[in-house]
Amino acid sequence: MIELITTAESVEQAKALIQADIDMLYIGEKEFGLRLPTTFSREELIEMTTYAHEHGKKVRVAVNAIMHNNRIKSVIPYLEFLQEIEVDSITVGDPGVIHLMKKNALHLPYVFDAQTLVTSARQINFWVKRGAISAVLAREIPYLELKELASGVSVPLEILVYGATCIHQSKRPLVKNYFGFVGSDVSTKRQRGLFISEPKNKDTHYSIYEDNHGTHIFANNDINLLDELQVLNDLGVTEWKLDGIYTKGQDFISIAKIFVKAKTAIENEEWNEAMLEELNKQLLSFHPGERGLDKGFYEKDPSEIQ
Amino acid sequence: MRTITKKPEVLAPAGTLEKLKVAITYGADAVYIGGNAYGLRSRAGNFTYDEMREGVAFANEHGAKVYVAANMVTHEGDAEGAGDFFRTLRDIGIHAVIVSDPALIEICATDAPGLPIHLSTQASATNYETLNFWKEEGLERVVLAREVSMDEIKEMRRNTDVEIEAFIHGAMCISYSGRCVLSNHMSHRDANRGGCSQSCRWKYDLFEMDTTDEKHSLLGGEPEEAFSMSAVDMAMIRHIPDLVENGIDSLKIEGRMKSIHYVSTVSNVYRKAIDAYCANPDNYEFQQEWEDELWKVAQRELSSGFYYGIPTEDEQLFGKKRKIPSYTFIGQVIDYDEETQVATIEQRNHFGIGDEIEFYGPGFTHHKQTINTMTDKDGNAIDRAPHALMHVKMKVTEAVKPLDMIRKLKA
Repeated sequence: MIELITTAESVEQAKALIQADIDMLYIGEKEFGLRLPTTFSREELIEMTTYAHEHGKKVRVAVNAIMHNNRIKSVIPYLEFLQEIEVDSITVGDPGVIHLMKKNALHLPYVFDAQTLVTSARQINFWVKRGAISAVLAREIPYLELKELASGVSVPLEILVYGATCIHQSKRPLVKNYFGFVGSDVSTKRQRGLFISEPKNKDTHYSIYEDNHGTHIFANNDINLLDELQVLNDLGVTEWKLDGIYTKGQDFISIAKIFVKAKTAIENEEWNEAMLEELNKQLLSFHPGERGLDKGFYEKDPSEIQ
Repeated sequence: MRTITKKPEVLAPAGTLEKLKVAITYGADAVYIGGNAYGLRSRAGNFTYDEMREGVAFANEHGAKVYVAANMVTHEGDAEGAGDFFRTLRDIGIHAVIVSDPALIEICATDAPGLPIHLSTQASATNYETLNFWKEEGLERVVLAREVSMDEIKEMRRNTDVEIEAFIHGAMCISYSGRCVLSNHMSHRDANRGGCSQSCRWKYDLFEMDTTDEKHSLLGGEPEEAFSMSAVDMAMIRHIPDLVENGIDSLKIEGRMKSIHYVSTVSNVYRKAIDAYCANPDNYEFQQEWEDELWKVAQRELSSGFYYGIPTEDEQLFGKKRKIPSYTFIGQVIDYDEETQVATIEQRNHFGIGDEIEFYGPGFTHHKQTINTMTDKDGNAIDRAPHALMHVKMKVTEAVKPLDMIRKLKA
């Protein structure tokens, strides 16, 4: 079963996405979730969960932050709250959270999501044996490895099929420190529009911003795996995430609709070249003009990576 | 008088068998080394099984331990053969392995029961519940993320009894370890499989783009300063009381790629400082000469990382590189004749008559002298010692012993 999972930047957008027939919302509070388009209040989380469930849809909540002591304490009431409102699953990247849930008899289905560190079937199976219902794949897995990996895992796997992908998280405020050094007063509010480029490749444009978890840097281009969806489906990699951190408002909803169409076509065995071409064209028109798209590591030859 | 009998372990890096012996001779209680696979330093000297055997024998003779870092994040196929690898390490007598990948942890626990496992800093453990998770999984020790503060360690210690290891000296990742793949994306070299190209230390443009793709640079400074993410190094020598009193079990020095000059100097300093504190904690005084000694092998400026707050721009390498006086390692004492006060020295770098040199040895012994006369191994007077590993004899002003080292200030 294919499931389309999307982020949401507002309650309105979340409802529109559900109307557009996505399968699952990926939302949360910024204190415990990483790199979300926005942070939601508990009331909003209740509202969206209720709405999703009324429409036969699911909610997955981001609890995937690296937790320091204070956060591992304050996450307990949050987990209790999430259990009480019956969200469908959470993402977890810190084994401390798994330990806590066991200790406190909390029964929240969790998806293992330690970002760059989820790269093999055997790792995923380690977490499955400890209760994980799924895992979020690292973005640095080429197709040839993914094929091997997928055949070695029995749970669903989540893969990013559209959107920006993080390649660096520092606890240091790297941008603030830089501006501090040069004595510039660039507003931190503009930081989601900042890029860096490599010294030897001036055309690159890696997004960079800071928040309560530190500094985040994203890959040069955003991911678009529209024309690999059939292959992913055939491999059994069927939790498809769309991340709207850099794609706003109606554009993101339009892109979600494109993936809904693709999913339906694949399920009905009606997916074809012409459709793909048309949908890809539409997708480009909704994707932010200043951001590139590619397949990331998907098409790389594993032996190219040293 | 209060004394502390449970001293924390001084854990030093050893890229080669020679460095292993030097580190232990200079006071390390344990060393960590790399095997030929599953590590994160593909370019550091790595040990063959025979070298490990010799290293373990040497360590056992000196009451020290040898750990093997196998901290790569495996992709499909990478873990093949890991079971044999861990079993062999166990049978060689390696005292523990340092692992972050759960697949490798599972393989090690299954295929080499009895071989203690330490969780690598690569897994970014930052809270006590995580430490307890790994303890219940059977791990003996957790190496903390470099992002934790001293207060957080204090709180962890109260909430777990798993062994805690923390970095106290050396170069640092600017990211949460393991959570950075800049190198993968920018150089096609996997940061978590031993290929890190240190992209964080590059010089970047920082800019905004409007929707027409027009770039607007936000670089500032006079002269213009590039955006960079390069951290200064860590040195916790001023904070020995905190490290000991907060119950950290093992104090880790970074640098498997570093020289024997570095390994001997840094091990020597921390050994001395920890012994001094534990012998008489209530009357302990920090000695400036310890820090001065660390500066002799420093490559960057030094800071206390995250232990006492989030690092600011002062803990990053911006601006003109400030000059650190730099020392050259010139040789090692291999023999000393007490009667004639003549030392035989194996040359490691060029030196000659008139040079001001400094001898140092285990136990933090030091003396300085000028070279007035020297001979080659056959007793012929020479002015310079130009050849690597050549043997040179010279009269010394204070007694030295084999394995003492010699350095000189770079001109």
